[in-house]
Amino acid sequence: MQSAPECLIRVMKSIKYAILITLLITIVGCVNLKEVRDFAGESAKLSAYTELTTRFRDTYQREQPYVSGAAETLAKDNDKRRQDAYPDLLKIHKTVSLYMQTLATLAGDETFDLSKGMDDLASGIKTYPNLGIDEKHVDAFSSISKVVAKWITSAYQERAVREMVMDGDPHLQTLLDGMLSLVSYYKKTNDNERKSIVGFFDIEIQYTNTPKDKLLSTLAKAHLQSKNREYQLADARYAEAEKGIMSIKDGHKKIAENIDNLSSLEVKTVIERIAKDIKTIRDNIEAARS
Amino acid sequence: MALANKKQVEEMADKLTESADSIHERLMKAIRDKEIDQPNAQSIFQDEAILRQRANGLYIDAANSVITDLKQSQTSVIALVDTANKKIKRIRDITKFIDLIADLLVLASAVYAAKPSPIITALQEVKSDIEAIGGE
Repeated sequence: MQSAPECLIRVMKSIKYAILITLLITIVGCVNLKEVRDFAGESAKLSAYTELTTRFRDTYQREQPYVSGAAETLAKDNDKRRQDAYPDLLKIHKTVSLYMQTLATLAGDETFDLSKGMDDLASGIKTYPNLGIDEKHVDAFSSISKVVAKWITSAYQERAVREMVMDGDPHLQTLLDGMLSLVSYYKKTNDNERKSIVGFFDIEIQYTNTPKDKLLSTLAKAHLQSKNREYQLADARYAEAEKGIMSIKDGHKKIAENIDNLSSLEVKTVIERIAKDIKTIRDNIEAARS
Repeated sequence: MALANKKQVEEMADKLTESADSIHERLMKAIRDKEIDQPNAQSIFQDEAILRQRANGLYIDAANSVITDLKQSQTSVIALVDTANKKIKRIRDITKFIDLIADLLVLASAVYAAKPSPIITALQEVKSDIEAIGGE
């Protein structure tokens, strides 16, 4: 018990030196994963593909009033097959989204935040005035603990992010390429649907030219107007979804290519820009919904 | 599926769509030039609609073959997610372990000050830290 105060003072002294050393190591060695985290977070939130998959599934609902006879039989059969494929089509997006969410958590800062616990500790020590530890020591101890903790976890965290990105990139690129193909099939299906519906009005309106048909012709034209607007908005969403998937592909590839260089300003700027692009795309899709 | 791969399926569907487009264009011209009456126009439009449904059927074939192609990649990505989640848990364990060390230091200080009440509080903190580490 006698040697305890001396020991404590020695510990406190060495803490002071250790703080300096550790701060240096941390500044040099700690990679900032903020850009990776933001990119992955934005990517996980992009739901354009899901919405368009649902639109693809519901094709028959929209074309149903306009098809008859043999075309209707085929349309019903197509409807059933689209309904059947729907869960598998969604699962592709869920997989990509889950990957991005996990990457965002893994690259996260808040997830592994230690400062709260450390501040509690500092105030805990301050409640013992007779210990011979003054406030300076408490602060020193608190900051070194934070630094050491951050250093231990961030080294592990960095390696984990690196492994996930490098192992994940080829598979992710394949999945995103597949999603691009699927969006193009959705778009082509939607084109045929539009032409079936708009084409119907184009033809029938031509034959409504007697005074008796005036009301019918006006209603048809008004309906056609709103249909055209609906398809214009849908087209904008296909285009934005394609851009979004391309940005995710591009962003993940950039991270993988520069995995040892993530702290460079140039790489950070590029990844940051892609994350912003994805956010803008999401806003545009939101606008094309109304 | 008679067609070999999704590229061919898609190309075939595109061709059917193009044919339907040509029919439509010709039909609209015939209507404007009054070459055709309404029932005949409707019958030709029906053929156009059938072609579009056939094309859309082929796009579903193509989509289904993408689904099959992506199965393996999906399995691999899910495995990566599982591995990452284990690592996230490990990092959280490290932070809990650091909490324990911090509370042990408080305990040591309390013991040194020989004040019963802070000792008991500090002991409880240490106990809950150990439970947090062992509990998951």
